[in-house]
Formats: sequence, C-alpha cells, structure tokens
Amino acid sequence: MSYLNALRLHFAGQFQSNVSTVNNDPGHFDNASFKARYQNMEGNGMVPPNGWFNPQGDAAFRLLGCTVNSAWMPSGQVTSSDPVLGYIVADSDGSVPAKLVDLDPEQQLVSEIWGLTVRIADGAGNTLMQGDFEPAAFMDIWDRATGSGSGDIGAGAAYQSVLWNLQWGDVSASPFLCALQQAAESGVLSIKFNVDGLNMDFTSPNFMCGRIAGTIGPAAIGEPQHLVIGRQFMASAAAGGNFFTPVGQINFCAAVVDSQASCIYLDLGNALSTTAPGAGLNDLGDLTLGVYDPIATPGNPAGTTIPLGTIPTTGAGGYSGDGWYEQTAGVVALPLTAAQLQAVAASALVLTGNSGVEISEWSNGAFVRADGFVHRLSPGASIEIPVYAMQWGQPLVGVSLSFVQDSAQLQTNTDSFPYVSASPPVATPATALTFTTPTPTPTDDNGMALLAVSTTDPGTPRWFNNGADYGIDGQVYGIRPSFTDASMNVGPVNQWNFISFLLWSGYTPATPVTWTDVQPIFQQYANLYPVMIRFLNMADYDSVKAHAGLLSLAFGLDVSDPNSMPVTRDLSPAKRAAILAWLQNPLPGPVTPPSQSAEVESLMVAAPAGGAAPPKGGKAAAAARRLILQAR
Amino acid sequence: MIRLQRSMIEGLTGPVPTVQAVCAALQNAIELEHATIPVYLYALYSLNEASNAEIADIISSVAVEEMLHMTLSSNVLNALGGSPVIDQPDFIPTYPGPLPGGVQSDLTVNLAPYSPTQLATFLQIEEPEDPLNFKALAVTDTITIGEFYTAISTAIGVLGNGAFVDPPRNQVGPDLMWNSIVVTDVATAQQAITTIVDQGEGTSTSPDAVVGGGYAHYYRFMQIQKGHLLVPVPGGTTPEEQYAYTGAPVPFDPTGVYAVPTNPATPPGYAAGSAQAFANDNFNYTYTSLLKALHAMFNGDACEDQYNRAIGLMMSLKGQAKAMMSGIPNPAVLTGPSFQYQPVNPLIG
Repeated sequence: MSYLNALRLHFAGQFQSNVSTVNNDPGHFDNASFKARYQNMEGNGMVPPNGWFNPQGDAAFRLLGCTVNSAWMPSGQVTSSDPVLGYIVADSDGSVPAKLVDLDPEQQLVSEIWGLTVRIADGAGNTLMQGDFEPAAFMDIWDRATGSGSGDIGAGAAYQSVLWNLQWGDVSASPFLCALQQAAESGVLSIKFNVDGLNMDFTSPNFMCGRIAGTIGPAAIGEPQHLVIGRQFMASAAAGGNFFTPVGQINFCAAVVDSQASCIYLDLGNALSTTAPGAGLNDLGDLTLGVYDPIATPGNPAGTTIPLGTIPTTGAGGYSGDGWYEQTAGVVALPLTAAQLQAVAASALVLTGNSGVEISEWSNGAFVRADGFVHRLSPGASIEIPVYAMQWGQPLVGVSLSFVQDSAQLQTNTDSFPYVSASPPVATPATALTFTTPTPTPTDDNGMALLAVSTTDPGTPRWFNNGADYGIDGQVYGIRPSFTDASMNVGPVNQWNFISFLLWSGYTPATPVTWTDVQPIFQQYANLYPVMIRFLNMADYDSVKAHAGLLSLAFGLDVSDPNSMPVTRDLSPAKRAAILAWLQNPLPGPVTPPSQSAEVESLMVAAPAGGAAPPKGGKAAAAARRLILQAR
Repeated sequence: MIRLQRSMIEGLTGPVPTVQAVCAALQNAIELEHATIPVYLYALYSLNEASNAEIADIISSVAVEEMLHMTLSSNVLNALGGSPVIDQPDFIPTYPGPLPGGVQSDLTVNLAPYSPTQLATFLQIEEPEDPLNFKALAVTDTITIGEFYTAISTAIGVLGNGAFVDPPRNQVGPDLMWNSIVVTDVATAQQAITTIVDQGEGTSTSPDAVVGGGYAHYYRFMQIQKGHLLVPVPGGTTPEEQYAYTGAPVPFDPTGVYAVPTNPATPPGYAAGSAQAFANDNFNYTYTSLLKALHAMFNGDACEDQYNRAIGLMMSLKGQAKAMMSGIPNPAVLTGPSFQYQPVNPLIG
C-alpha cells in the first residue's frame, strides 16, 4: 500500500530550499587554506566563484502555499462538497523550518529533508492532520525542463517517504479525511512529491524556491518507506545533459495495479518534461499505456502491445494543459477490464507517445532497490539495510540479491575552475566498508532481503595537504544492488539506484577535551556556514564559550529535530560527544597554526577561456564531477 | 513614562477584587510585556553589530528580560487558574499604535530601525514612575505601568493564598527559564511581579535591578543616550550621586543602521510577490509559530522539549531578521519584519 492508491489527495504549491553553497566546493573544507571571500556571493558567471550562489543559505526547507487540488476515494473523485479541496498542505507551525541537507561535498546528489512536519490544515491554518516526515533523499533527478541550459534550474527530482506520529484534529467535516484517518490505523501515511523549477537568481523573489506537486495516501507498516512495490518503468540514458536524460523522453516512474478497483495508478509526476523550468508539461503526444502481448500470434506478432488506455495531451484532462500537473501531481488512474488485468499480470507495460517517446518495464518485470539509500555510519558499525525485489508489481520471493561497491556516481574534481583545489579521493580505503554478497538469506515473503554492512575506521583519507590539514570527515562510498542471477538483470540500470554511505573517521579526543580538540570542527562550521555569524563566531573561543548553553542545547538534540546542530548532519557521534563534553567544561587550549603550504592558494579562479561551457553551479556542478563522467 | 488607561485595573482596586479581574489584568500584562519585544527587536536587528555592538548588546539584554516578564505574568495567571491567550491575531498590537492598554494620545509606538528618536520612545516606555507625579496624577483616568502592577500585586494580596490553584499549575520554572519563579501563593506571585517592576523600572533607591543583574531597563537605555555606560561612583550619598554615566563609551554609528522601512505593515506594505513580501511572510509564519509554541508552553506543555522548540523558533527569527534586514541575499533589498499574525505561509506570488 502506498500513495498510489484509490484513496489519495494531490497537492501543489511552492517550496523553499535555502541551502548554503559554501560547502559545494570540497576544497572549502580545508581549514588551513580557507579564505574569507569564500563566504561571499559569487560574481557573474561564477567569476570569482567565492561561496557560490547562496553562501548565506540557512538550509531551510519550507512548503509555501501548497493547496489540496484534488482527492480521490474508492467511490470516485472527491467533489467540492468535501472541504478537503479547500485545505492546505503545510509544514510545522510549532517548530523551526525543516532542513535540506547534502550527505557530503562528494555526494551532493542525495539531498535529504530532515525535521519536516507535514500538516493538512484548513484555510486558516488550523491543523487537521500532522505527521513527521521520515527523513528522505531525493531520487531520480533528471534534466526535466527543455532547453534549460546550465545549472539546477531545469532539474526535477522526487521524494518518497512516510509520515508517522500522526495527530488528527476534528476531521469530521471531510469524508475524505475521515477515510484517510481510518486507512491510517497503522499509524503511517505515504507521501511522495516532485520538485522542479528551482530559482537560482538571488535578485528574484523566488530565489531558492521552486515548484512542488505531490500525493498523500495510506501506507502499511512493514512495507518500504521510500519506494513503491509496483510496476517500475525503466529509462535508458541518453548522452549529455546535466543529470539524466532519458532516451525515450520519459523519466523513471512507477505504477500500481489495483485489481480490486480494476485500474492502474501511474505516477508520471517526475516523468514528464516541462517546456521551461517549473512550467507546463511538454506535449509528447497522447500517451498510450500498453502491455506487451505475451502470446505472439500471426495477427499479434512478438513485440506488439495491447493498448490499455490513453492519457490525452490536450482537451479535457489533457496533461499538457494548464493546471493538469497541479491538479494531479502527475498521477493517472486508468480503468482496466478483467481481460486487461489478466494481460498485465505477467507482461511488461509500455508507455508511448509521439515517435521516440517510450518507456517500459524490464522485459521480465523485475526490479530491486534499497529502502533508505542514504546512510551515515561510525567505524565499527554493523547495520542491515532492507532491499526489496519485485516482479510484475508483486514482491519477488526467494531470490538472491548481490551487491557491488560502486562509486561511479560520487563526485570528485581536479584543481580547475571553479574549484579552489583538487578534491580528495572517494571510496578509499575500500576495505573500511564491507558487506555480505550475495545476501545469505534470499528475499522473504515481502520480497525483502537484508544487506549486512560493517565498517572499520577509514582513517582520514580526505584531509588536505597530504593528510596534514584538517579536512572532510570520513569517506563516502556507494553500493549498488542487483539480482544474483545475472540473467534477471535484463533492462537499463537506473544510475541513481544505489546506496550512499558517509563513513565517519574514528575520533578520540584528549581527556579532558580542550579547545585544541574541538576548534578545527568549529572552525570548519564557521567557514562553511556564514549564517552562523548571525548568532556567534564559532571559530572564536570566547564567543563559543559565551554561547555554550545554547550550543549544548542544539548539539544535544536528536538529529531528526529541525533545530539540531549541525544542520548538515555530518558530525560523527564521536565528535558530537567530544563537543558536548567540551561545552560542559570549555577548557582553553592552543590552536595549531595553518601549515606552510596552506598559504599557497590555487590560482584557478579565472573562468575558462571563451567558448567553454558556462559554469553550472549547484547540483549540476556536482553531477559534472561524477567519477563515471571522468572515466569517459 | 507611558500612561495606561485606568480601565486596565478595573475590578482590582475595590475592597473585594475578583479573581477574574486579576486574571484579566494579568492577560493585559502579558500582552503589554510582549508588545515591547517586536519594537526592541526591530531596532536591535536593524543595527550592524560590527559598528554598533554596544547598543545592540543593551537592547538585546532588555528584550530578553521582557520575555522573562511574559513568563512571570503567565505563571501568576496560571497560578490563579487562568489561561494565557497568546495564539491569537489580536495578541499582537498594531504598529504604529499605543501599547496594549496605553493611552492613545500618550505614546505611539513605531516598528522602526534604531535611531535616537526610537531610543527616546524606549526611554519613555521604560521611564520609572516619579513619586511626586504619581500623587499628582492619581486622580486622572490614567495610570503608570508601575501602578498597574502594584494594583495587581495588591489585589492578589487581598485575594489571599486561597485563590491559588493547588497543586501548582502550568508553571514555567527556573529549570527552563533563567530567573523564572514558580508561583504558588501570594508571596511568590508578588515576588514575580516585583521582579517585573524592578527589572523594568528599578527601585526607588537604586538603578540596580534586584533580580538578574544589570540596571533597570530605563537606565540601560539611558546609557545609549548618554553615550557611556552607567558606573558606580564612590562616596556618593544620594542615589543620584552613587552612579554616573561615565563608564566605557557606548558609541552610535549612524551609518551602521540598515535602512529598513518604519512600520512595514502600514498600507500598502510590501508589494505582493516581492522579495520583501516573501522574506516577511516567512518571518511572520515563524513568529506565529513561536506564539503558538509559547501558548502551548504556558498552557500546560511546560516541558524541556517544548521550551527548546520555542528557543529554536526565537533563534530562527533572529537569523531571519538579521538576514532580511541586512540585505541577504540581495544587498539591494532590505526588509523589516512586520510582526504580524500569519498562520499560513502563502505562495510567493
């Protein structure tokens, strides 16, 4: 059970993701060579790059003006007699804004939302339902807007998670919400939303804001939180672009067949391209959902499809028309006859439009993905990560899953514009992250197997100046799942479908902890997050000591709390413990001066010579640093 | 010295004050204490701390104590069985306008960037009551803030310990808020009120506040006007001779004030769809969230988690205000927060 359900609501509005960008350049983590100007706004065309496009960002993630635009119940579409259609979807009105957080400067492509409370409220803001959003990273980022050029503004991506700790107000006025409350007896709801059209112009009122459209529906305990057990449409990669460009013009998407309701729910919310960033959807022609005919006959040769239904591009309900996306969040329900239900049961679905527009399931209908694909680990940790296998939309039981270390999508850079220095290597030492492959136990009745991961101390492979200067903590790694039976891996691989890890360095402070131990940590936060100077100078002993009370509070909060420091969630438990101990007894201590080489600054601050591609900034810059591209 | 309407102590001064009347007065007190905070914060965050650090420190120290006063008033109100009402649009005064309960013609308070004129308003708000004036004005239809609190304190004394809820109810104690007082009876209620008055006005014999250290608010602000810190003077006999504004300089750099508008909510306000409206909406949504959080905290949710949420919201407001008022992200756009009730964060435009 998920948001792709007969019972669901669709909402749309805007979001803010006010991330700081000083940490976009891994070289800025080098305390010894950090320059004050790295905290300034970039110049035109990133000349000079300084602190990139939003150095003063506070990481706030907000929902702005999101309204419930349509809702569905098993009995049909909810009409205006149900007040839910006037309600809003909002974030917390009792705590600070949620935060959008990168995993690491060398894995910026799984940004997670932390500390988000999602509310359904009436037009006056009175809460009717609220739940805590299980932190989740975006998936399936792609070049969504046509002709969007460089940067992130043309990107689209999707978040899927669950809401838990549900609190309900008096929903009796809304039959829909009554039904949703009843369906949420398990205590969770499923939520998925798409983001696109991020504005990166600091002179615009919409700076660091974009469009959001999403769906809320029921969920079940014991089911994956961040993926749909359903039909998975898989796209092949076209060359070029910033993030991902599907050959068939339609991005990865999922569908669920509801045999009880005799229909299929198809989520095209992050799958259809737009005419411009955050604009209407491109006309790809009428989209026809079909199923490959499993029984080839002379009249129906192999490869032909049985049409199941059409999503018109224009006219009533036309997806390229004004408001369709905001009304539906891209979710389409197509009725299926009994014969069609039978046809789709074990045969690949395909969605087609104009010539060249096409996406389909793997020919065997199989799919595997980890639920929760971003992890932060300490040395000596052992965790088990649930990984789900499915086929034809059903749990795939009793199969073996395999895993490989795959750092191809992680990001490093050479000493070249706009970076201040070459970034440290990723995924080394490889031996610090070990896992059991194939899984010792095949998938269970839910199609789930556990990936066992253990860690040892990676050391400090990402310190600068040959390891002499304090740098980026720990190391990042990737692990990619697949079917052990290689013959099952028949279709295009989703490049984003892997598990990202930040493995922290071991850390043992002196006893007692002194300023000498914690100063590099605080200095780095002071460098990377200029927002902190609004509160204190984190690099200054006296200032930090004077604010020890508030800092103890913020560093002592659970990382899921929106107030938790550091906002970046990249502080190891060992360092956190040292900081908390020090804040209780803020002993002074000498500070190591920068090493000699730190005075040598890269001269690569000039833009490339004329004719070179314009700088990308943001996530597009990170995407351009991926190892897989450097290997080509 | 600002004057309040005599109706603020209606029902308190007779021989048999009612609990309801005392509770109504305490609700007014909470609103009055809160009403100064946006005004002080607006001036505070309009200052570039790089050049006006001393002034910022002084204003900040006063604003923090106004928050304590809100808490103390709420504790007394709760102890008498009342319930503070904070999460309401009309809890926030309109700027420009009088302070809650204030006399319209007496003092119009503006939401304005720091200036010597605005400082004069602060001094007027915090000016201690002159005993001689007190006698002369007692027959008028206005009262001082000191009289207001004295009337509440006296009425509580008349009500007696029997008026207090047992066991103690909805108290925000010193475990959560520094210098707070758990109110359970007449003595602790009067102690809480004395703290409010002393921190605000000082005592008749000294500018020192009895609780919390530092001078009473009026004298703190006067240091800005005089340009020097107030310091004790050895050998003096009268209170006036025992202190002098001869301490370290409190310089004012007029170029270190961000040019934010005065009374940003005054029509037409920020243009719909503008960067200013966006920053202001975000701020007001957070501010409203803080009022909701305080409302919950003062109405039974006085736990550490809730206190931390409130503190977090205050810090968020500080960060937002400092950014928007100083031209972050766009130095060409300065935005002063309008401190309006906004339970819904709208589309940008």
